[in-house]
Amino acid sequence: MDLFVVFFLITGLIFSLGGAIGIIRMPDFYTRLHPAGKLDTLGILAMVMGLALYNLHHFSLESLLLSIKMFLIVFFVFLASPTATHSIVDAGMRAGLRHWTKKKRKG
Amino acid sequence: MKFLGFIVVGLAGAILLYGTGDFPDWGDPYSPASLHISKDYIEKALDQTKVPNIVTAVLADYRGFDTMFETAVIFTAGLACFLLLRDFREKKERFYRHTPTGVILHVKAGKKILDGGKEFEYMDKDWVPSDLIIKTVCRILIPFIQIYALYVVAHGDFSPGGGFQGGVIFGSSLILLAISYNLKTLVKRISEKMLGVYAALGVLIYLGIGVICMLMGGQFLDYAKLAPLIPFDSNHIRALGMLGIEIGVGIAVTAVMAIIYINIVSEGRHDEGL
Repeated sequence: MDLFVVFFLITGLIFSLGGAIGIIRMPDFYTRLHPAGKLDTLGILAMVMGLALYNLHHFSLESLLLSIKMFLIVFFVFLASPTATHSIVDAGMRAGLRHWTKKKRKG
Repeated sequence: MKFLGFIVVGLAGAILLYGTGDFPDWGDPYSPASLHISKDYIEKALDQTKVPNIVTAVLADYRGFDTMFETAVIFTAGLACFLLLRDFREKKERFYRHTPTGVILHVKAGKKILDGGKEFEYMDKDWVPSDLIIKTVCRILIPFIQIYALYVVAHGDFSPGGGFQGGVIFGSSLILLAISYNLKTLVKRISEKMLGVYAALGVLIYLGIGVICMLMGGQFLDYAKLAPLIPFDSNHIRALGMLGIEIGVGIAVTAVMAIIYINIVSEGRHDEGL
């Protein structure tokens, strides 16, 4: 059991770290939103999965309910985070920000 | 003028910083506040009020008078926002969309506006089609956010929360509606007049409960005197009284949040904006 908990926590850690590095290293606004929206969501999912498993150590109805509540939080993040990212991208497109290209634009 | 303002702000900041020097250290067990009164609250709150959450007991019962005027301050903030920003003048340029065909009409300044019936819809100048994904997700989330807000209000005496927090969450759900659809959708659901009534009603509920306590022969906000009015569960009468005022605070905060948001984003015109 503990092995699974550690596995999930480390997976979440790797994804969150990747997201953080991606936000810093990516070249422009839109590509930065990509790690922010995707990796953080998966990182939180994996981490809370680990925590929920850890919480089930002493199995009882109460701890089961608490774990389900944790997954409700993840569900909320799962819905809200990509939508927020989508709306930010949408606003960027409407405001006329050009996306990054490898070639330098003229002028 | 800007320079003068800077001097005034700097001076006030310096005075405040000087004043903080005399504060007791953070968490100092021998500071005057924690020597007498905190001990009293911690030891006796549960026996005296039967409210499991001491913070709520202090805020809503021991210092209920203070909290009432905090609610009044929030009400005043909404009122000030309304008085400063509300603009009743009609917009000079107007855009109308003919709903069946999608043709957009531009009415220039000074031109007369004829009655076109229901097929013409008043439109924002910077109107953009709302995104389907955002609309759908917000439509799913908003009811749950509101239920959560009601939970926070109702559970103020058991767990962290209360009227202020619950009201803010509820207000933010209204703001989410205005952002994901448009401002008109929100204004159509809750009219400006109703928002004003709600803001005043919240403060009035708080005040009313206090006055009822006085009429029942107690002191202002002495919830124990409400017992004859609520026949069941006289043991938790103080918790029930607190729930009443939390509901009042929640209503006032919700309405004031919406008033401030609507007035700021639409520059007081209540027709277009974010």
